[in-house]
Amino acid sequence: MATVSFCDLRKSFGAIEAVKGLDLEVADREFVVLVGPSGCGKSTTLRMLAGLEGISGGEIRIGDTVVNALPPRARDIAMVFQDYALYPHKTVYDNMAFSLRVRGIAKPEIESRIREAATMLDIDKLLERKPAQLSGGQRQRVAMGRAIVRRPKVFLFDEPLSNLDAKLRGQVRAEIKKLHQMIGTTIIYVTHDQVEAMTLADRIVILRGGVIEQVGTPDEVYDTPASLFVGGFVGSPAMNFVRAKRDGEELVLDGGERMAVCDLGPRAERVGQEIVLGIRPEHFVSSGDAPARLTGTVNLVEPLGADTLVHLDVEGATVTARVTPHFRPAVGERLPLGFDPARIHLFDPDSEKAVA
Amino acid sequence: MSQAVADRQETEERQTVGGRFARLMDMGDGALAFWLLLPTAVLLLAIIVYPVCRLIYTSFLSLSLTSGLPASFAGLQNYRDMFADPVFWSSFWNTVIITVVTVPGALVVGMALALIANIPFRQRWAFRLALLVPWALPLAFCGLIFAWFFQSDYGIVNDVLRRLGLPTVIWFNSYAWATVAICLTTIWKTSSFMALIILAGLQTIPRSLYEAAEIDGAGRVRQFFEITLPLLRPAIAVALIFRTITALQTFDIPYTMTRGGPGTSTVTLAMYIRQNTVDFLDLGYGSALAVAMFALSMIVTVFYLRMIRRGA
Ligand SMILES: Nc1ncnc2c1ncn2[C@@H]1O[C@H](COP(=O)(O)OP(=O)(O)O)[C@@H](O)[C@H]1O
Ligand SMILES: [Mg+2]
Repeated sequence: MATVSFCDLRKSFGAIEAVKGLDLEVADREFVVLVGPSGCGKSTTLRMLAGLEGISGGEIRIGDTVVNALPPRARDIAMVFQDYALYPHKTVYDNMAFSLRVRGIAKPEIESRIREAATMLDIDKLLERKPAQLSGGQRQRVAMGRAIVRRPKVFLFDEPLSNLDAKLRGQVRAEIKKLHQMIGTTIIYVTHDQVEAMTLADRIVILRGGVIEQVGTPDEVYDTPASLFVGGFVGSPAMNFVRAKRDGEELVLDGGERMAVCDLGPRAERVGQEIVLGIRPEHFVSSGDAPARLTGTVNLVEPLGADTLVHLDVEGATVTARVTPHFRPAVGERLPLGFDPARIHLFDPDSEKAVA
Repeated sequence: MSQAVADRQETEERQTVGGRFARLMDMGDGALAFWLLLPTAVLLLAIIVYPVCRLIYTSFLSLSLTSGLPASFAGLQNYRDMFADPVFWSSFWNTVIITVVTVPGALVVGMALALIANIPFRQRWAFRLALLVPWALPLAFCGLIFAWFFQSDYGIVNDVLRRLGLPTVIWFNSYAWATVAICLTTIWKTSSFMALIILAGLQTIPRSLYEAAEIDGAGRVRQFFEITLPLLRPAIAVALIFRTITALQTFDIPYTMTRGGPGTSTVTLAMYIRQNTVDFLDLGYGSALAVAMFALSMIVTVFYLRMIRRGA
């Protein structure tokens, strides 16, 4: 069990700066997810922590030890790779036993640890098979089993679900979470999928271009995104952004609707000439009794059963609303959507930071 | 697999080009396969099966163009002569020695070269290019160069020995040293082929396996024996089969380096076959020798195939 801390961590590949001064403290037993679009430096950060990639600047600690110069094997971490990296010529048992054999652990102890992990992961019937004889989901479990038997200080996962189909992904995701609850080891988990991040994490770290945009619990990053980027990245369907111009004590929204600035509550004083409103699709309400409205032309209706997604065209931009299941506006119809100004997010169009 | 999936796969198979063609021509898949394989089968018959049968047949004839006698059936006489012929036996053992020494030798050297060529360093391309040179050189050319290297008065090998203060060797005056020279040359020439095949094998091993092993705590040596070597098994098997077959047919290098000398001591089986058929025009006896070489190659191939099957 251990804490992990990154202090001003940097990594350059020649002229490319992949990680630009990352500061992060991970508590013991915490499940932290690094999330962000492809190429934002998630894998690089994880690989530096694992020792598979050199560090260009800054410091990484596991527990109280600075691990910058330690080789991977001395860091007491275990990693689950995106392609699982199972040894193809070894059986499942030998895959799991390898690290223990290397460390000179006695045979009976190896045996009992593998049985225990295999039972936990429900792969105890597969121990004599080779990886080629396993399904994707089974391989994924074996990769986790190989990590578990080590009893490392920290587990690292690099996009472990991206090679699974959608249904299996949901299932294994739940299992990873259960696993963490059972063994309690610190986990640092990398994904580009914000749903995975939201469902798994104690805390989410949102990366963009090698820089942390925001760190917070799933609720925090959903409820109070620190920037336009986080607002758009977290949540599905994504947050809608609507530009508005100030006209005295009123805001003129794209699409022509007006609303009173004072309805935005205490934030109103910080609203400048231009502002971006962030409205989540699920926060639209029927327009009748709402204090503010947005109007656009319906161009697509997607009934999903539990609810319906309505896509509107608002001055060239698409706005998505999640509405009640049986609400079916006609395509081409001008539709006003109501929202509560207190629930929307405000962003400064220049700095892209949230106006709080 | 669910029934629906199985059905879909079957319809997909039916829709392959071959399947469509078979229906177009109104024949079953089996008939289509027969007609598609026929040209290849005929070709193989013409260029492999027929010559081999003809060779075996000739080996039972007394057919020497210098005797002026017509070909006559001689039964096993050629084989009896062969087993009583000391030059056959020395050429047989020379061939075996060259094979047993140069095949593992080239494997070890080739493995080392491949491992070096697989390390990411800046000049790697130059190293890989250099690796191709011995492979691309004609065997006879290589034999001629090395005959000069081992030349006792001006050769570079003796020059190096002299500079190191070691006694020099008159390489081609003794059977033992001539064999050493032939084997060294053969290893130099054939290691690059081994290295190329092994390098191709190395490149199919995903890097993440080494990273996983690194995290699992395995050092370099352990990684080599537990990951690299087992995963190279198929590549090594292929390289060994090819190399062994060509080693059994060793001709060019000893022919250009020693002409079989001193005396007939370094004559190989292939050289002896050539001598009997081309120089002495004794086609019957030459064929018997060739059958012996063919049998040797078959034994080795079967041995390797068994090894591979056992490993798989
Ligand atoms: N070995 C490398 N050499 C050069 N550039 C690299 C290397 N590895 C990663 N990068 C670059 O660093 C950036 C971050 O990559 P990565 O950490 O893999 O992103 P991701 O968040 O998708 O995992 C990308 O721009 C990528 O192109
Ligand atoms: Mg990545």
